[in-house]
Amino acid sequence: MNTFISTLITGTANGAIFALAALGLVIVWRGAGVVNFAQMGQAMFTTYIASNLINSGESYWLAFIVALISGSLLGMIIDLLIMRPLAHKKSSSSTKTLAATIPVIASLGILAILQALAGIFWAGEERGFPTPVNSFYFKNGAGTLPFSAFNLFVIGVVLIVLLLLTYFFTQTGVGLGMRAAALNPEVARLSGIKVSRMRTLSWAISGAAGSLAGLLITPSTNLSPNTLDLILIIAFTAAVVGGLDSPLGAVIGGLILGIGIALVTTYGSPENVFLAILFLLFAVQLIKPNGILGGKQVRRG
Amino acid sequence: MKNLMVSDLVTDYGHVRALDGVSFIANAGEITTVIGANGAGKSTLLRTISGLEKAKSGTISWGDLEITNLAPEAIVRLGVAHVPEGHAVIPTFSVLENIEMGALFRRRKNSTDVKVAISEVLDLFPRLAERIKQSAGSLSGGERQMLAISRALVSRPELLLLDEPSLGLAPLVVEQIIQSINQLCRSTGLTVLLVEQNANTALAVADHGVLLALGKVVSDQPAAKMRADSALRSAYLGY
Repeated sequence: MNTFISTLITGTANGAIFALAALGLVIVWRGAGVVNFAQMGQAMFTTYIASNLINSGESYWLAFIVALISGSLLGMIIDLLIMRPLAHKKSSSSTKTLAATIPVIASLGILAILQALAGIFWAGEERGFPTPVNSFYFKNGAGTLPFSAFNLFVIGVVLIVLLLLTYFFTQTGVGLGMRAAALNPEVARLSGIKVSRMRTLSWAISGAAGSLAGLLITPSTNLSPNTLDLILIIAFTAAVVGGLDSPLGAVIGGLILGIGIALVTTYGSPENVFLAILFLLFAVQLIKPNGILGGKQVRRG
Repeated sequence: MKNLMVSDLVTDYGHVRALDGVSFIANAGEITTVIGANGAGKSTLLRTISGLEKAKSGTISWGDLEITNLAPEAIVRLGVAHVPEGHAVIPTFSVLENIEMGALFRRRKNSTDVKVAISEVLDLFPRLAERIKQSAGSLSGGERQMLAISRALVSRPELLLLDEPSLGLAPLVVEQIIQSINQLCRSTGLTVLLVEQNANTALAVADHGVLLALGKVVSDQPAAKMRADSALRSAYLGY
């Protein structure tokens, strides 16, 4: 019974992190129309920055804040330097479907560049990453409780971020402007909303969300230029399972994957995790091609 | 009071020359209607004025300012609001969110006036006030058109560009919307540039008419004269 509960709690904590990463993908997809394959590459890069700060004796919290800020800055830089010029080129491209794939391919290029740079700067060594609170199970007299302070910390942080994002998108003017810019750029521009600025903001928010996911997941995966590739695959699956354009769907998708992976690891074998992810993706695409909470428009490819 | 002056405007739409040297003046405080058949360039004209399409040559002046090829988000800040064709609202937004969207750029500096502007449009279209929390997608076509106009009005424009408000609506609803606009123009001095395929309806309320055919102005005269000109009507408007 204890094993089952601990599996559920670990799964929920990991699922919360996947939800965060998936949410980052959804925000850029909705806000800028790009499936961002570089997302966890960005997170890997900013987690290295945090790791360097911690190794040089700075506090975890300073490193935490610096990573989040550099995550949003990196997102903005990618938009301003690469995605925005590409969007201008896009209109002159021959076919629409071809034009839509250009930023996606660019994001793969950015991922490759970030991984190569990390390899150059940090020699590609795999290193650990600390947790701000204890990650061992709580002691309860002679026995142990089936979860750690870090599990609770992760769930708490992600919950707070989700509430803040919900408030931002539904209750503030800028949030309304971002949603309008995503849903109907033409009407948004006629309403005086600076659509390209809203896109940059999507990249910034998504970058910070991805960075946070990186900080929270690396204590269990370790940090190397490629360790977060698997998280990208999981986050992408979570986003697609949830419907790709639905923030709530991304969160639900993240939790399903987190708990599902924990159950497969505990009761099946860890080697089957990939197979399980693939199976889930396949099943959802077969039964609900637009995801659990996806919009009505058909996605192909 | 500012006039809108369009001189020698040329705009291409893809490979087609949509506007081929259009010139006219929309006088301050009046309703000017642009009529003409499908494909005459009416929508392109409004889209070029509001900055959605780039002019190839020619100028658009708004009062003392030249606004040719400025960005739409800059033009709306100068008091020119555009209600594009097809009841342009965001269906998943609530009615209130759609209205608020139009005043977002003024919210920080004039938050009290934004509230006043919102209550004014709700007075103008009471049906929207009843449905304020509903999603815009649940509204009827006429209500959606009222909502699109409200979104534009809360930006406190001095010039309203209205593209085919009658499209797909029942005659009674059209009459209601046109009369609301007419009333607003007469009571507040709002300048209106109304694009319509339904020339009868438009000329009935307009002060001035501009007839477009294949991207060129073929007639530019007081609306009353245009209404009476049977040769013109039969040649270009088909009735």
